[in-house]
Amino acid sequence: MVAIFVLLAMLLKLPIGISLAFSALAGSLLGGEGIGLRHLVEGSFGYFDTILIIVTAMIFMNVLQASGILDTITSILLRTFYKKKFALLLSVMALIMFPGMITGSSTAAVLTTGALVAPVLMKMGLPKVKTGALIAMGGILGMIAPPVNILVMIMGGGVDMPYVGLTLPLLIIVIPLAIVISLWLGYRDIKIIEYEKMKAILPPSYSKKYGFRLYLPLIVVLVLMLGQSVLPRIMPDIGIPAIFLLGSLIGLGCGRPFNFFKTTQKAMQQSIPISCILVGVGMFIQIMTLTGARGWIVISFLSLPSLLLYLGIATSMPLFGAVSAFGSASILGVPFILALIDKNAIITSSALSAVAGLGDLMPPTALAGIFAAQVVGEANYFKVLRHCLMPALFQLVMGVAVLHFAPFIDKLI
Amino acid sequence: MQIVYHLIVFYLTCHFIWYLFREKKFWNKVSVALVLIMFLLRLFLIK
Amino acid sequence: MRNIKGNFISALLLLFAIAICFLSTLKFLSMQKKEAIFPSRGLTSRKMLSSYFPGLKKTWGDTDVYLYEGQEKGGNLLILGGAHANEPAGFITAVLLIENIQVSTGKIIIVPRANNSGFTHSQPQEGNPQRYSLESPWGRRHFRHGSRLTNPVHQWPDPSIYINPAGQKLSGADSRNLNRCYPGRKTGSLTEKIASGIMELIKKEKIDLALDLHEAAPEYPVINAIVFHENSADLAALTLMELQIEGFDFRLEASPTNLRGLSHREWGDHAQIMAILLESANASHGRLKGKTSPALIVEGKDKNYMKAAKLGLLFVPYGEDGIPLKLRVARHLAAVKSILSNLEELYPEKRIEIKNMPSSSELKKVGIGPFLNPPN
Repeated sequence: MVAIFVLLAMLLKLPIGISLAFSALAGSLLGGEGIGLRHLVEGSFGYFDTILIIVTAMIFMNVLQASGILDTITSILLRTFYKKKFALLLSVMALIMFPGMITGSSTAAVLTTGALVAPVLMKMGLPKVKTGALIAMGGILGMIAPPVNILVMIMGGGVDMPYVGLTLPLLIIVIPLAIVISLWLGYRDIKIIEYEKMKAILPPSYSKKYGFRLYLPLIVVLVLMLGQSVLPRIMPDIGIPAIFLLGSLIGLGCGRPFNFFKTTQKAMQQSIPISCILVGVGMFIQIMTLTGARGWIVISFLSLPSLLLYLGIATSMPLFGAVSAFGSASILGVPFILALIDKNAIITSSALSAVAGLGDLMPPTALAGIFAAQVVGEANYFKVLRHCLMPALFQLVMGVAVLHFAPFIDKLI
Repeated sequence: MQIVYHLIVFYLTCHFIWYLFREKKFWNKVSVALVLIMFLLRLFLIK
Repeated sequence: MRNIKGNFISALLLLFAIAICFLSTLKFLSMQKKEAIFPSRGLTSRKMLSSYFPGLKKTWGDTDVYLYEGQEKGGNLLILGGAHANEPAGFITAVLLIENIQVSTGKIIIVPRANNSGFTHSQPQEGNPQRYSLESPWGRRHFRHGSRLTNPVHQWPDPSIYINPAGQKLSGADSRNLNRCYPGRKTGSLTEKIASGIMELIKKEKIDLALDLHEAAPEYPVINAIVFHENSADLAALTLMELQIEGFDFRLEASPTNLRGLSHREWGDHAQIMAILLESANASHGRLKGKTSPALIVEGKDKNYMKAAKLGLLFVPYGEDGIPLKLRVARHLAAVKSILSNLEELYPEKRIEIKNMPSSSELKKVGIGPFLNPPN
C-alpha cells in the first residue's frame, strides 16, 4: 500500500489525498477484501468532524481578512510591540497557543490567532517560513497545554484514567518549551524598528471607522470557545464549526463589506486539498486495520527491547501522527501507557501527549504545518516544516525526559 | 443543535457542488467529489 | 467549448459521487434491521424501555426489555447486554438467557441491546465486519457487530469536551458512550436519555442487583474482571472464590470512586442497588489485532496477540487457541450463575431461581449454536 502511494504521489504527481484513496483501494483488493466500498467510505468518516472544523475555520479566516479585522489587529499589535522584541515573542506565543489551549486543537490555534499575529511577525523581519514554523509550533504547544488536552483525554479513555490533576504536569512540559521555541525561532530575525519605519509598514486600521463592532466576530468566537471550558454548565457547547460560522456571519456586518458567497468559495478552494488528504488517510487507515497492517505496526513497536522502548515511542508516535495526532494517541499512546504501567499514568500520558502532538507536523497530513504555510502564504509547506525540525526535537527530548524522570516529577508534585 | 449542524452541512454541500463545477483542474475536481460523498451521506443522515 | 467539457466532467463526477453514496447507503442502512431473538417459553412479558421513560419513544434509543417473573416472590435482577454493541459476548449472553431460561422465584429483566443505536453503525477506522454468524441446528444465525458509541446520525454533533451527568470531564466522543453517561439526563442527549431510561427501569422494577456485561481488549488491565460497587463487595468476593474453584480465572476490581458516569458506580450510588460489571477478553477489540474478520470475533484467534502474550504485554493468558466467543460467553454465564447462588447465600429473601440456565461447561464443549432457539 505504501509503495503504491509513493508511486502515485511522487511519480505520477497525483494529489496526496487521491493517491491515498487509490492505495487504500489497492490494499483492499490485494488483501482479498474486494473493492470494500463500505470500508473505504466508512474510514473517511473518521475525519468528518475534523473536516467540518477545517472548512468552517477557513471561512472564518477569510472573513477576518475580507472585513479588515486582520489588518486592524496587525496594526494594533505592531504599534504596541515594535520596540519590544522579547515581550513581542512571548506574548505572540501565548496568543497563538490560546485557542489551542481551550479547544485542544492545533488547527483552531493556527487558523485564528496564528493568522492574526503572522503579518506582525513578518513585518518585523521574521522570514515567512520561520513565521509559519512559529505558528505551527505554537498551535501544537497550545494543543498540549492545559486546560484541554484531547490527546490525554483519548489516552485516559483507553486506560480508565479520569481527566483530573493534569494541569501541573502539562505546564511543566509546555512552559519551558514555549519560551525556548519562541526565542529560538524568532530572537535572531525580529528587528526592533524606528517609529517612522513602523508607520510606513503599518497596514490600514479600520478601528476608527467601525469602532468596537469591528472586533465583535473575534470576541464572539473567543468567548464561546472559552466559555465551553470555563463555564461549561452555563455556556452552551455549540461545537467549534458552529462557533466559526457564527463568528463569520457576525463579521458580515462589522467591517468592510464583502460577498459571503465568494468568501465561502475561497475557503472551499483552500480547504479542499487538506480535506481530501483526510478522506484518503481515513480510507487508508481503515484498510490497514482491516488487513491487519495496523496491528502489525503496533506490535512491532511494542516488541522493541525495553532499552529501545523510548526510542520506539519517540519515533513511532510522531510518525503515526501522519494519520493524525489523535489517532496516534489512541492507537499507540494507550498501549505505551500500559507498557509503562509502573509509572504515574498522569505524568506518562502528559509526556506522551507532547510526543504525539508532534504528529501534527508529519506529512502528508501535517495539519499544523499545512495551515501555518497557508496562513503565511507559503505554497510549499515542507519549507515551514524544515524550520520546525529543531523545535520539534526540543519537544521530543522534553517529552522523553519527562517520561524517564516521571517517578522524580511524581514526588516533586 | 442537530438542526444547526444539518444546515451547516447543507450550506457546505451546496458550495462543494458549486465548486466542483467551477474548478478547472481534473484531479482537483476528483478531490471535491471524494469529499462530497461524505457530506451527502451525512446530509441525508445515513452515515 | 472547454467550459462545456469541464462541466460535463463535473457532472460525471457528481454522478460518480452520488452512485458511491447510493451503493454504500445500501450497506450502511442494512445495519438498521434488527436481528430476531426467539424468547423461551418462560418469558412473562416484553416491553420497551420507553415504557419506563417515555422520552425515548420513537427514538433509536428505545429498546426491547424482556421480563421473566417467577411464581414466588424473591429478588429482582437486571442483566444488561449490548451497552457497547461491539462487545458480542455481552449481547450473546443476554440472547442465550432470553432464549433459554424460565424463572420460578424472583424476577429477571434482560435488556440485550442496551444501546440500540450503537448496533446500527460501525466505528470508522476499526475495519470491523458488520455481522458475524453462529451455526445452530436450525441454520446460521446472523448478528450485527455494532459500535461502542451511539450512531452519530442519531446524536450529533459531539461537544468539544463532554461533562457527563456525574460531573466528569471526558473527550467529546464519550458523550455517545452509554457507559459514561449514567445516571443520565432526562432532557439531555439521546445517550443520556437511554441512561435515564435504564435508571427509571431500575427504580420502577425495584431492582436489587444489576449486571452489566462487557468485553475489553486483552491488553486492557481491567479484564476477566468482576468490577463491583462497594455495596456488592461481599457478593463479588464470594463469587470470585466460587468461580476460581470452578476453574475460571477472574479478578476483582473495586469500582473507582473518582471515575464517574459508569454503570457500576452510578447504579450503586444513585439507585442504591448492588451493581456489578463483568469483562471478558476480546481480541477483535484491541489495538494490536491482526486481520479483522467475523472469524476473529467468533474464534478469537490472533497471531499478534499470541506474540503480545509472549512479550508479557497482556493481562490474560492468550495461547494458540485464542479466546473464542463461546468461552467468553461461558465465562459470563458462569459468573451470572455464581452471583445468583451467592446472592441466595447472603440474602435468602432475595433468592432468584432459574430453570434451563445454559450450562457453561456444556457451552464450552458444544458451542453457542445448540443453545439457540429455532425461529418461530
